[in-house]
Amino acid sequence: MDDEKERLSGDRKMSLGEILRHSRPYVAKEKWAIIFSLLLIALYVGAGIALPMLTSQLVRVLQEETNSQTLSMVVGIVAGYAALGLAEQGVLYLQSMTLQKAGQRIVYGLRMEVFEHIENMSLNQFNQMATGSLVTRACNYTAAVSDLFTSVLVHLISNLLTVFGVLGIMMFISIRLSLYLLIFALVAGVTSFFFGKIVRRIFHKERQYISDLNAFLSENLSGMRITQIFNQERRKSSEFDEKNQNIRRANYQVVLAFALYRPFLNLLYYGSIAVTFWVGLSIALSGAEIVAFYLYLSRFFNPIQNIADQLNQISRAVTAAQRLYSLLEVQPEVVDPPDAIEIDHFEGKIEFKNVWFAYEGEHWILKDVSFVVEPKTTTAFVGATGAGKTTILSLIVRNYAIQKGQILIDDIDIATIKIDSLRKAVGQMLQDVFLFSGSIRTNLTLHDDEFTDEEIRAATDYVNATPFIERLPNKLEEEVLERGENFSAGQRQLLSFARTILHRPQILILDEATANIDTETELLIQDSLEKIKTIGTMLVVAHRLSTIQHADNIIVLQSGEVLEQGSHQALLKKRGYYYKLYQLQYAEQEG
Amino acid sequence: MLFGKYLAKYYKKYWALFLIGVVMLIVVDVAQTFIPRFLGRIIDENNELIADLAQLGEIVGYVMLCAGIMFAGRFVWRISIFRASTGIAAGLRKEMFDKAEKLSSSYYHITKVGNIMNWFTSDIEEVSDFFGWGTVMIVDALFLSASCIVSMVRLNPWLTILLMIPILLIAVWGLFGDRLFTKRWEQRQAEYDRLYDFAQENFTGIRVIKSFVKQTKEIAAFSKIARKNQDVNVRYARLNVLFDVVIESVIILAMTMLLGVGGWMVYATATGTPSIIFGQEVKLTAGELMQFVGYVDLIIWPMFALGNIISMRSRAKGSLKRISAFLDTPFDVVNPLDGVKLENAKGDIEFRDFTFVYPDGTTPALSNISIHIAPGEHIGIVGKVGSGKTAFVNALFRLYNVEKGQLFVDGHDIMECDIPSLREVIAYAPQDNFLFSDTIENNISFSSGAVDHGKVEEASSFADVKENIESFPRGYDTVLGERGVTLSGGQKQRVSIARAFYKDAPVLVLDDCVSAVDVKTEEIILGNIKRQRAGKTTLLIASRVSSVSQMDKILVIEEGRAIAFGPHHDLVKTCPAYAKMVYLQQLEREVEGGGANG
Repeated sequence: MDDEKERLSGDRKMSLGEILRHSRPYVAKEKWAIIFSLLLIALYVGAGIALPMLTSQLVRVLQEETNSQTLSMVVGIVAGYAALGLAEQGVLYLQSMTLQKAGQRIVYGLRMEVFEHIENMSLNQFNQMATGSLVTRACNYTAAVSDLFTSVLVHLISNLLTVFGVLGIMMFISIRLSLYLLIFALVAGVTSFFFGKIVRRIFHKERQYISDLNAFLSENLSGMRITQIFNQERRKSSEFDEKNQNIRRANYQVVLAFALYRPFLNLLYYGSIAVTFWVGLSIALSGAEIVAFYLYLSRFFNPIQNIADQLNQISRAVTAAQRLYSLLEVQPEVVDPPDAIEIDHFEGKIEFKNVWFAYEGEHWILKDVSFVVEPKTTTAFVGATGAGKTTILSLIVRNYAIQKGQILIDDIDIATIKIDSLRKAVGQMLQDVFLFSGSIRTNLTLHDDEFTDEEIRAATDYVNATPFIERLPNKLEEEVLERGENFSAGQRQLLSFARTILHRPQILILDEATANIDTETELLIQDSLEKIKTIGTMLVVAHRLSTIQHADNIIVLQSGEVLEQGSHQALLKKRGYYYKLYQLQYAEQEG
Repeated sequence: MLFGKYLAKYYKKYWALFLIGVVMLIVVDVAQTFIPRFLGRIIDENNELIADLAQLGEIVGYVMLCAGIMFAGRFVWRISIFRASTGIAAGLRKEMFDKAEKLSSSYYHITKVGNIMNWFTSDIEEVSDFFGWGTVMIVDALFLSASCIVSMVRLNPWLTILLMIPILLIAVWGLFGDRLFTKRWEQRQAEYDRLYDFAQENFTGIRVIKSFVKQTKEIAAFSKIARKNQDVNVRYARLNVLFDVVIESVIILAMTMLLGVGGWMVYATATGTPSIIFGQEVKLTAGELMQFVGYVDLIIWPMFALGNIISMRSRAKGSLKRISAFLDTPFDVVNPLDGVKLENAKGDIEFRDFTFVYPDGTTPALSNISIHIAPGEHIGIVGKVGSGKTAFVNALFRLYNVEKGQLFVDGHDIMECDIPSLREVIAYAPQDNFLFSDTIENNISFSSGAVDHGKVEEASSFADVKENIESFPRGYDTVLGERGVTLSGGQKQRVSIARAFYKDAPVLVLDDCVSAVDVKTEEIILGNIKRQRAGKTTLLIASRVSSVSQMDKILVIEEGRAIAFGPHHDLVKTCPAYAKMVYLQQLEREVEGGGANG
């Protein structure tokens, strides 16, 4: 959690009060569970204190002059011991489960809130945040925050109750002996607290050395070729040695710290037993009373160690809470204006009016771009890398807000349309097809169960994807590995088309992939593109000759400006920039 | 205990530490069993001791002595046993790394780095843990329990036999519980991984989700997984709690039996009617009963360890097996005995009807290549991605084995050359421009142990990266990689070229390593090659014709075959494929330079 890499730019320090205020809604829901388990804890602690008392009483009864009642008292005490002991365990079970369930409900609630919050952030915010840090927040820190309330704080209370309960009853038996023992307890508590702080530092160092070595290993195993080519095995081996020894030294420090701490606590424990024997008999305590002290001592030291540990845990949980709540404070950047309009049908006229756009500052990607795309026509965007083709497509769906000018769909400024209704209408087929791990079905429906098998079949038929899906052993249920790596680039492309078609778009944008695709699949793709075009207005960043040849209009971009536009034949006749571009990028495909 | 051929030397090295540790553990075990005896005396002789403080002082003295011995013993065994176990971990890691350095590229081609990393991390930890905690558990399970049982039997054998029933139950439960735990824990881990992966994928593919407006559906899907996590966590917690509750309940039952039967025995002894078993009177005092309570307390942990040690050993055994398998991997590229040591190499390279097939390939990556590169010649190798260019490098550095009699360096068959001396002769700038997370200076001077700063600067200016480096606040001391500065692709390529030039070897191979630098920089580097590598053999592999056109000769590769070999001006006329590449290249320049006449 101390790792710098895990931090986001928005993280800030919060006071404990602020954290508690943020946590209130989650904890308040579970207040009855928490109160109930606190009551159970009181019972549990009570039983724990009563048990040694029974043993002590047994000794007392056995050491007194025997009489007619002795045996029945023995039976009574032992029966009481069994009943109380088992009841104690029953209460422990009930208490732990109540708390665990409440804690898990809080984790669930927090996770959902964080996940939903992240889902609603804007795309450019995603680009600024490391995915790993977001994942850690949704998965780990939520659990850490819940632990604070359902484990750390509650157990702290339980341990405090035990310590004070045991101390109270010891004082009841003998104040003097108890005060002696209190000294031992305080030493144990203080030692544990500081040991916790020190050992955390050593652990941190050890972890760092370990991750250092792991980073070195993964780098050097991947780059072994270079080391071998440069004959530097010996040097790398000695670098490894150094890191290896670092770990060993850090390991040793951990061992040393524990080798002092654990035996020391043990020494305190046995020391306190010696004191009990000495002081106890000096003030003429009975055997039964000594037994009580002896048994209580073992119930005294553990809670003290735990309290010290829990105090240390609180500070760690606070860090987690800060990170989590800081993230929840981040507001999405591209949002619907309050009076945004919902539109469910578009004719499909698209117009750019003097659009200026930069991802940051004054680095204009688009400079005063204007064009009109008529409904139900296909427009291809061409140009060299970095000319701004892909940017135009991403502006239409408002992934980013433009700085100057206007983008209109059906003569309505898209800034006034609800983002969701805009994106529902626009089917996007992106260049690097992203497939999720899961099945083909979940990749097409994206977890939307409303689609019937017939609809899915119709979509895969439409884009010529059915034959290859049918050839798979599990058909639609075939497993898709991470990022779809078990499918070829062409197959991924077809799946992406099918996904888009299934969602019934009215406007289509396509960023054609440049990847190498085998000839057979290439033909299938071309054929399905012909069909897709007829669905509605289509904007394409074209890499295929056939795509631009069949476009109604071609817009040629250069460094963010519209250079030429017209049909393929007309532009070729001009023998200008497009002509060269055509020869370079597309002429080869003719053969 | 765990044995294997790779462990023998560690036993030899650390036997003394283990011996000291085990002896100390036993001492602690025995000392621990004395304490209940003192408690028994304090109770039984309560009145006498109150009266006779000198005798009480003696008992308290003994308790302190035991406490002191335990403190020292615990300190020593922790230090010695864990010193040995961490030593074993460090030793195994070192052996494995040295092995890794000797394995060839073909091994890394088929084995995932992630797998090797697992052997290095979790498997070594498992083995080392077994030697550390495992030893402690074994010794305690044997000696602490033996010490307790002996003391108990001496006190009262019948009560001991009676108590062994619930006590053994703890061992059984320890064994059985551990298996159950592992299963549930894995289940829980699997669900957590699912949650983690889902979040990771969702955040990575957020573009798709947003473009299809599927946030709601994704939230619902995440909710399902989060719920499942909630369930398995509760189930795991239940197992955890149940496990503890069952053990504690067994202990309470054992204590009840002890207090009941023992209490009755004490009563019977006190009333003068002790029971007689096999003709012997069974006597017990209240103090002895409490002594028993103390022993039962002590014997719980070793019983639990007894159950646990079995599954711990089987895990460690599995890990050791994987580590041994790695250390046993046969080498395929082996340095020939009495190989020819290349000294003062001229840089003459000859491919004689050279065919190269990757170990896992079926079709040759290169076939029937016959070219001769004279010392000092500058050769360009050009071809599309996947045409087999990199196979030249793999063969030339003997990263893979080649057929005998097909590849010669300075007239010596490469299969008969001493590998380190061969690699000393050739410098290399790779295609993937892999740099280490180290300072720029150390990266550039990678080929030699000592850093010559003047040469580093010289190499940087050769690769036209000097100005870039010097513009960084920390200059040549800039640390690259994860925790340092990230260089652009072009900068990385140039640093990697500088690294190769620094080596100043008779042969320099530049493997498609100017693809990410702009045209102007490329021209500067090409000029530098021409001037500063004059008279030294240089191979430049490229996919762009412009990169190689100024070389003395150019080899054109198509699908693993050499289709032409000669100087640029010849190839333009004789090789249509080459001529077409040249034409397209020119066109590209015009397009990128701007449509001035468009």
